[in-house]
Amino acid sequence: MNKKNLIKQLELTFSDNEVNTFEENVIKIYAKKEQVKTILRYLKDNGYNHLALISCVDWIKEKEFELIYILTSYNDNNETYKETGYIYLKTKISRDNPEIGTVINVFENAEPYEREIHELFGVKFSGHPRLIPLFLERDYEVPPFRKNFDTRKYVKDVFESIPVIPEEEE
Amino acid sequence: MDREQVIKALKDSGKWGHKYSLWAVYFCTGCGIIEIPPVITSRWDAERFGVIPVASPRQANLFLITGYVSVKTLRAIIRTYEQMGEPKYTVGFGSCPINGGMYWDSYNTIKKLDKYIPIDGWIAGCMPRPEAVFIAVTHLWTLIDKGMANAYKKYRKQYKYYRKNQEMALGKLEWPPLYPINEDE
Repeated sequence: MNKKNLIKQLELTFSDNEVNTFEENVIKIYAKKEQVKTILRYLKDNGYNHLALISCVDWIKEKEFELIYILTSYNDNNETYKETGYIYLKTKISRDNPEIGTVINVFENAEPYEREIHELFGVKFSGHPRLIPLFLERDYEVPPFRKNFDTRKYVKDVFESIPVIPEEEE
Repeated sequence: MDREQVIKALKDSGKWGHKYSLWAVYFCTGCGIIEIPPVITSRWDAERFGVIPVASPRQANLFLITGYVSVKTLRAIIRTYEQMGEPKYTVGFGSCPINGGMYWDSYNTIKKLDKYIPIDGWIAGCMPRPEAVFIAVTHLWTLIDKGMANAYKKYRKQYKYYRKNQEMALGKLEWPPLYPINEDE
């Protein structure tokens, strides 16, 4: 399947999602939250067998989180995949109740990415087997990568409130 | 060695031994460790100064903290430091352990490391050149000669303050206190 066919297929199969192909080497799909897993499964069956990254953007004014699934293929000596390059699957979820289904049963390597996004942005992935902290040691009231997390205030409250060691008494 | 120095070395043989066998614990924190392989290998050859890296903190008495310290690393640093035998000397390497450096407003990086463990000296810079390690080491020799490199003694005396600060940063510590803490004082 070449690039044109793939786009046609995508538009036909998932007609209520927008497919954008203005850029070279990238196909962008703006998917609905519920259909992410189906589209990922479909793309995987069509040879895009590597989930490179899951990323998250905090659009604080729109009150939305944008999740980006970046797919590529291991068969990159094949002309089709060379022409298509990457597939960016974007989806938006609400900021007040950030919840989305996990994609671990499609791509197993999504597990650490989802854990990372869970602890840094507070997005809940329903169905994830162990949604425990990945990097962080401390508890944060607001997850630290959200735009309304005030780092300077946090540093002032936490690290600067720790006293200096007094000099020894003679 | 001069004849005069022979007498001096015999008079204070302990210090002489400490000075010329500073074994550094092989502990990497942050990006500063990238300067350590050239320091210990043939180009700058730290063994001229008696500095060699050792794998275990039990054998080491020099602790180079190379680069930024995240909260998770601080736990490992404290455990490593407490395992080292006395006398032990610590040197903060790079600007991040001094005051946070470029991570001054980071949510997960320890600023001012000397609130948690005692530090004998600092090497400023981002990054310091390998020569700076040798300047620090020779400076440490002077301090040892004069009996001024006694941060580990301060740790023993002021341990309750250090422990309190460590618990403020890390929450409850899962290991017992290294020195007895007298609560009544």
